[in-house]
Amino acid sequence: MNKHIEGPGQCEEIQEDLTAIALGILSGRRRSEVLGHVENCPRCSSELEHLSIVADTVLQLAPEVDPPIGFELRLAQRLQASGTPRRPKRFRRASSLAIAAAVTVVVGFGAATLVGTRSSNNEIRSTTANLTSATLSSHGQDVGEVFVSAGKPAWMFMTIDSRSWSGVVTCEVILAGGKIETIGQFALSGGYGAWGAPLTSSAGQVRSARLITAKGVVLASARLPV
Amino acid sequence: MDSDDDGVSDEALLSGMAVGDDRAGLTFVRRYQRRLFGLAVGIVGDVGDAEDVAQEAFIRIFRHAQVFDARRGSVSSWALTITRNLAIDAIRVRRGVPTDPDDRVFLELMSTERQPDAVALASEDVARARSALADLPVDQRRAVLLAALYGRTAAEIAEAETIPLGTAKSRIRMGMAKLRVAVVIEEAL
Repeated sequence: MNKHIEGPGQCEEIQEDLTAIALGILSGRRRSEVLGHVENCPRCSSELEHLSIVADTVLQLAPEVDPPIGFELRLAQRLQASGTPRRPKRFRRASSLAIAAAVTVVVGFGAATLVGTRSSNNEIRSTTANLTSATLSSHGQDVGEVFVSAGKPAWMFMTIDSRSWSGVVTCEVILAGGKIETIGQFALSGGYGAWGAPLTSSAGQVRSARLITAKGVVLASARLPV
Repeated sequence: MDSDDDGVSDEALLSGMAVGDDRAGLTFVRRYQRRLFGLAVGIVGDVGDAEDVAQEAFIRIFRHAQVFDARRGSVSSWALTITRNLAIDAIRVRRGVPTDPDDRVFLELMSTERQPDAVALASEDVARARSALADLPVDQRRAVLLAALYGRTAAEIAEAETIPLGTAKSRIRMGMAKLRVAVVIEEAL
């Protein structure tokens, strides 16, 4: 049973405990005892609130540091894997543009402005000097987008919302001249997936990209603008 | 704040994140990644571990965005506290390799060579706290930062500093009391 703390004298005695609670370094029974007192003592309640503000402010003094390159992409992958409430119910252009914008930052060429240049074959979506995007299609249906960013290295980012596919798929790119490169594998969960990876070739060499199942079936493909 | 930060309040971004708004989430990540990673790397001292900590912090923020209660504090305090607690957990896992605060956050915190935009964005509270922290006696400053950033208890500080427990408690309490005077402006009675 917790010890009962009351009386003005007790308020003075628990100052160190209030400080420790504000700093998050007091636990166990003593913490419960002190908080029990605080609930019924306006003076200590106010004191704890102020000390907590101080402790919070100390955290605000930490220096700002740029995270490693690729931080946003890896976070996007972890968010996807963790099932946080960001899974779209359907393919969303705005979402993909936001991801594409993230890619521009990750690869360090600044904020590119996407300019729509839909071509006659209705697959090519848009280009800029540094960022190319194309619709990922399956049997005539849009199922996602592919983004290729120029730079050293070049990067590819892909979003998929097929509504039905699951499991591990392989991404390949076909380069000018027909050479095929495997970029990597990633998992589709509930039909949705988003991932990114650096390319070994230059962005300008990439002509198309495709997703292949473990059995070698092409699920979807995208033609990049030349 | 990043150049593409659209000026939306932190609370509004959290509301958007709670309903799966990716753009709100991206804006939030860009707004806070340098701060959360900076705090994490200052505490754990390793870039790889710090990235894990910062990313896990963002995941928790996304996951709990809908239950954030603005009445209990600011979004920045909430986000930084989550990061701090995860970082402390991380260094407790590898107790054999303690981070020496003197080598990292301490020196950075005391630096006056902050980025101009960071200085401009710093609130008056933060500026006062920075100044007050710099004015503390070294022993008190060290004790406060060991507790506030690294989660060291008074007993742990006493052991690490080879001082009596009462001295460690006193340094923490006195240091915090001085910071409190600088940071908290009490309402006139």
